[in-house]
Amino acid sequence: MRQYELMVILDPETEERTVGTTMDRFLAVITKDGGTVDNVDIWGRRRLAYDIKKKSEGIYTVVNFTAEPATAQELDRQLNLNESIMRTKLLRPGA
Amino acid sequence: MAKPVVRKPKKKANPLKAAKVENIDYKDTALLRKFISDRGKIRARRVTGVSVQEQRLIATAVKNAREMALLPYSSSAR
Repeated sequence: MRQYELMVILDPETEERTVGTTMDRFLAVITKDGGTVDNVDIWGRRRLAYDIKKKSEGIYTVVNFTAEPATAQELDRQLNLNESIMRTKLLRPGA
Repeated sequence: MAKPVVRKPKKKANPLKAAKVENIDYKDTALLRKFISDRGKIRARRVTGVSVQEQRLIATAVKNAREMALLPYSSSAR
């Protein structure tokens, strides 16, 4: 088991209220494989430093979780497949 | 023979120690902005005055922040 930090930029056209449930749906894979979601921090709408997919805003979310490496990779893969997710970053803090 | 001019470089105060920063995080854009120029370039170590190890952590943090659009790759100030 390892600790991970995941940052996700969501499309600004998605409703800000539904972000929590959207993220929960993706994070279900962690708990299913025996990991734990430690903290979910929704930053909300934020201006991007440069345009991504012709959009100048994004909804930022930071998630801390503990999971097996394979599970973390699978979560990142699933996130990248989704159209409404503009960018992700999966890091191990302190590594 | 002329004596070579040896200039003692003035030791800069470590800005990380001054700000009491322990770990450098790419999410802390307010801190990282101190280490980039107004055009968005990473400032050299001789300008920032941090240690080699810290400069490396700062550089990777800035690059991570750029990937997540928290900091600009370049901002055409001029």
